[in-house]
Amino acid sequence: MSAARTGLRVSTRRLVHIYRSEGHEVAALSGVDLDVAAGELVGLLGPSGAGKSTLLSLLAGVFRPSAGKVHVGDLELSAASARDLDRMRAQDVALMLQGAGRNLLPYYPALDNVRFAQRAARRAGKDLPEPEEVLAGLGLVADARRPLAELTPGHLQLAALAVAMGSRPGLLLADEPTSQLDHAARDQVLAAIAETSRELGTTVVIVTHDPDVAARLPRTITIRDGRVGGEGRSGEEYAVVTPDGFLPLPLHVRDRLAPGTLVRFHPTDGSGYLLVPEEESDE
Amino acid sequence: MRTRYRPFQALALAALAALVAACAVFAPLYDRAMQQALTDITVERADPAVAGLQLIATRAGGGGFGFQNRERPAAPETIAEVVPAGTRAHYLAPVLGYAAEANVLPGSSRDPGGDVVWREGACEHLTLVAGVCAERAGEIMVSAADADNFDLPVGTRLAIPGIPHNGAHATVPRAHLVVAGVYDQEPSAYWLGLQLTGRSGLVDPGPPAQVQHDVWLTARSTFEGPGLPPLPAGRSTVGLPLDVDALGVDDLFALSDAIRRLAKTAGAGADGTIVTPYSGLPDLADDVREQSDQSQVTVPLLMAQLGLLALVVLWLTLLAVTEQRRPEVALARLRGRGRRGARGLLLGELLPVALAGVLPGAALALLGVWAARTMLLPGHAPFETGVRLLGALGLAVLALVLLTGLAVARVAREPVETLLRRVPPRRNSWALGTGDALVVAGCGSLVVVFATGGLEGPVALAAPGLLAVVVGLVLAHLTGPITALAGRRALARGRVRAAVSLLDAARSPATRRVVAIVTLASALAVFSADAFVVGDRNRASAAAQETGARLIADVEGGDLAAVRGALADVDPDGRRVTPVVRIRPPGTGAVETVAVVPDQFRRIALLGTAAPPASAWDRLAVSDAEPIRISGTRLRVDVDDSTLVSIRTDGERGPLSLGLDLVTPAGETLHTAVADLPDEVAHARFEVTSYCRDGCFVTAVWLQTVPGATLTGTATLSNLVGEEPVAIGPASRWTPLQDPVVGDMVPDSTTPDRLTIRVRSEGSSELTMRQAWLPSVVPALVAGALPPASQGDDFDLTGLDGTVRAAARVGTLTRVPGAGPDVAVANLDLVQRGVSLATSARVALWFAADDRDLLAEVDAALHDRGAGIATTTTLADVRRGYDESAAAWSVQLAAIVGAAAVLIALLVLLVGAASSWRFRTRDLAALRMSGVPRRTVGAMAVAAQLPAVAVGVVAGTAAGLYGAYLALPTVPLLADPPAVSTLDLDTAWSAVAVAVLAVLAVLATASVLIGRTLARRSDVRRLRETL
Repeated sequence: MSAARTGLRVSTRRLVHIYRSEGHEVAALSGVDLDVAAGELVGLLGPSGAGKSTLLSLLAGVFRPSAGKVHVGDLELSAASARDLDRMRAQDVALMLQGAGRNLLPYYPALDNVRFAQRAARRAGKDLPEPEEVLAGLGLVADARRPLAELTPGHLQLAALAVAMGSRPGLLLADEPTSQLDHAARDQVLAAIAETSRELGTTVVIVTHDPDVAARLPRTITIRDGRVGGEGRSGEEYAVVTPDGFLPLPLHVRDRLAPGTLVRFHPTDGSGYLLVPEEESDE
Repeated sequence: MRTRYRPFQALALAALAALVAACAVFAPLYDRAMQQALTDITVERADPAVAGLQLIATRAGGGGFGFQNRERPAAPETIAEVVPAGTRAHYLAPVLGYAAEANVLPGSSRDPGGDVVWREGACEHLTLVAGVCAERAGEIMVSAADADNFDLPVGTRLAIPGIPHNGAHATVPRAHLVVAGVYDQEPSAYWLGLQLTGRSGLVDPGPPAQVQHDVWLTARSTFEGPGLPPLPAGRSTVGLPLDVDALGVDDLFALSDAIRRLAKTAGAGADGTIVTPYSGLPDLADDVREQSDQSQVTVPLLMAQLGLLALVVLWLTLLAVTEQRRPEVALARLRGRGRRGARGLLLGELLPVALAGVLPGAALALLGVWAARTMLLPGHAPFETGVRLLGALGLAVLALVLLTGLAVARVAREPVETLLRRVPPRRNSWALGTGDALVVAGCGSLVVVFATGGLEGPVALAAPGLLAVVVGLVLAHLTGPITALAGRRALARGRVRAAVSLLDAARSPATRRVVAIVTLASALAVFSADAFVVGDRNRASAAAQETGARLIADVEGGDLAAVRGALADVDPDGRRVTPVVRIRPPGTGAVETVAVVPDQFRRIALLGTAAPPASAWDRLAVSDAEPIRISGTRLRVDVDDSTLVSIRTDGERGPLSLGLDLVTPAGETLHTAVADLPDEVAHARFEVTSYCRDGCFVTAVWLQTVPGATLTGTATLSNLVGEEPVAIGPASRWTPLQDPVVGDMVPDSTTPDRLTIRVRSEGSSELTMRQAWLPSVVPALVAGALPPASQGDDFDLTGLDGTVRAAARVGTLTRVPGAGPDVAVANLDLVQRGVSLATSARVALWFAADDRDLLAEVDAALHDRGAGIATTTTLADVRRGYDESAAAWSVQLAAIVGAAAVLIALLVLLVGAASSWRFRTRDLAALRMSGVPRRTVGAMAVAAQLPAVAVGVVAGTAAGLYGAYLALPTVPLLADPPAVSTLDLDTAWSAVAVAVLAVLAVLATASVLIGRTLARRSDVRRLRETL
């Protein structure tokens, strides 16, 4: 694999997304601030319904935010035109949907799928490697022309990755890329994604709820109840102060502090704070 | 590659596209083939003289004051040139000729007159009975009848007059002819209707009366050679036989226009030659044109419905297959290809498949037209394609491209977020989408306008289809929520199997499509079946009405006694054949009299639905009065106690005659004066000559005086004797005359040998008292209107002798088979009494069956009595005439349309199954995984589609029936509107039942098979499928 390092910086500010479900308005995201540096590999974690996939769709320009800003590279998505979004999807951002099959045209082999994915970018004049080269980079030479139905789930996912990376995007958004895979295949796919990010400088945002996957990512962001609930870096878990000053408690702490508990922040030797819960008096 | 992934779907889509193309191609080609067939049979069945073109050229007359134009007629070759070359090309080689008058001199009443004719090549179409072909000037050939009648053996010399010389002492030159041969004419198209014989010995009443000879044939030089003078009434003739085999419908129309132009332009030439063209071709062309116009109602009516169905089906199928490709569209959009790229992706897959159906569809249509040409249509219409085929193909391609483009655009314009969902977001289940609402509103408005009579033209023809679209769409939209409701209720009651089937059906867009399409297809099948059978029924009833019975034989002459005698021998019960005598007085609005033997007529005549109850026929019964028969050549009667006197207007006594009407067995009335009674008589015996050697009926006693005189008194007649004494009384054997205008003449006696008459009249010159055996008032069953002068039920009926007779309407008939609209049916046994048939009366024999043996038997019996059968007409022949018309062929198209509708509905089911089998088998597999037994899953799979089919068939049947009710009155079922309408547009229930059962059988079987197949493939491994 060879190409210029093309990673895109991603940031969101006070990102809100509300959708209607059965007559009610539901806030999927309620003020997410996120910064991902160019070439960074980030995992979005969180329980089902937390808003991870919604955030990913907002980053891909599939959804328009109800409020807030989304910046992908120099493009602010909430104000981008449909043409801008098409151009962005053609050249800069690739979205891998959950389930390998959903990323592939079922009647084409992997090779033609990559070619199909590259067409818009090529037409725009982007210099891209040949589909065979893309597939070779992921070890799929032997599968290039085989019907998709004959591929193993792991290779199918790799084919989906090849399709996504075919246009050499600056941002790869992958929704549960390792779900439904056995451990070997999962490791193979993760390694390929990491290699891609490293090799090409592509910014990668992966949605996962698999702790094993999360453990292999240099940085993870936990989304909880539509907000950034924490961040993990190199295996260390952090709480993140929101722009409006809230501090979500880590899960293990929240279990111990019942709602309504009063806490105090005690400065300690000038470099940190001690969080002290008040004991209730029986007076 | 893409079509290989979904081969059945591609196949089904191509098949639907093929049907659309087939509809588009078949309609114009079939219409054209019908026109060609119509042209063929119209021209081929026309007499060559009618179809051909004949030119007759004469010289302009003299210059007045007895000046004679003695120029010979122009050479026929120059006359033939009047016809433009383009027109000539449609005719075979011309038959040239000359004709002139040939009246044998010296011109006495015994010397025959007629025509002498030269016709090129005539001898090849004659049989020479004697002598040789006339080849030299002055040689003639005469008919065998002429040779006998006028004693004209070969070698006989004759003289006929030429055109008189001009000048002060005009002389008549003589042309001398010699009989060279005696001929028999061989019937052939060559003669172009020229009948050479049949006139020999007949007298032309003139004036002056002259005995006629048949046409004499001669050589060309008789008209051109210097040895003979120019003959009177000379004319050149050109006969152009039509080249029937090479004539197409376009040629027919062009030729008819050319002949009409020729008739206007030929006229008088510069040399005084007047050319007159004769041809029946323009009338034939008008007939073809008129019938073609009819076919242009029916063919589009049927094909428009089918085309509409095919288009709707294709549209819904395209919607299904494009919806199925939503994930692929989403991928295209996610890869930055935009809406245009997404459209291109789908069009690249679907359009070639749709267009691939065009050529097979066209081939199918061509095959259909070929089959129609060889099996249905008569004649030898050429196989035409050309512009019509290209136009139709272009139309089909346009429709396919438009529909595919619209369906693709509909999906491609959806936002990516919507496309990423497996199924499109559902609306409020009861609501109608904007597009559907527009279609329902549009179609519904058209149907309402049509039903209220405000719509005509092509749009009106699609009304039944539009109605079905409205019903189908509305029903389809109601099906979802209603089925869901039923499913939820079933679930609440614990009926899980039914509930799952219903809920599955409710959430599936395929269910709605199936309901809509099955409704439309069933409506079309029902409409087509109804139209087909109603058309057939109306042709049958029109043929029956026109013919009257299965076989009709017209009898030569008017010898009714011979006819009845023959029938009494052959069929004494009158079960197989019955006499019918018809007489129609001249003038429009006149009531035709049809005299029948009621019991026989009601059994044999094709009365159909017009049959009155038996009691109606009883009202025509004959009175049981006995006739008074007398025979011999002398007749004697006594007159006693006569006080009869006639007083003239001046007070003086007037003359008074007493007489009897005697009717011979042949029906001839002998108005016989018996006595002059100027004064009162106590007793007198009178004897006169009578002509009753073979017996007569005494049908009336009459008294005659001068007009204006009064007549009163009584007299007693007795001792009526012919060869033997005859009883003239009692009074009951006579019908009193009691008329306020004419007067009274009343019988009064109680003994058989005496008849006293009491008379009172003021002004009538004749009083007649009829014998009771003769009806005074003829009872009649009447169809149509009574004549204008009728009073109540009393009217004047034309008797079989052509005279007016008093009649009374004793009942009505809807119509009388074989007769016109205004008809009085009387008892033949009654109205034939005492009358001889007028020459205008037509005697026919009506047969219960087309029984040729019986016909021969009757013919032989008639021949024994000096009569015979002139012509015969069969119901089958008349029916064939109705069947071989554009109207019939058009309606018969309904059979194909109905079958195609069912086929299309079947395709929809297959397409639905092909489009959704992956999802449905996965759903069923999930049920199996949940522990539902295999049999139950199979039953659920079957039950998911069956209710939709059943609902569609029921709704479609209703829509089809109402569509037929709306549209059938606009369909021309018969080529020409008959004089008596037998139109019956009542629903053909049996046909409708067959159509419904056929639709149900095909679609229900298909649903069951599809359901079972899906259930069989619902392996739990399907759940792991990702592709």
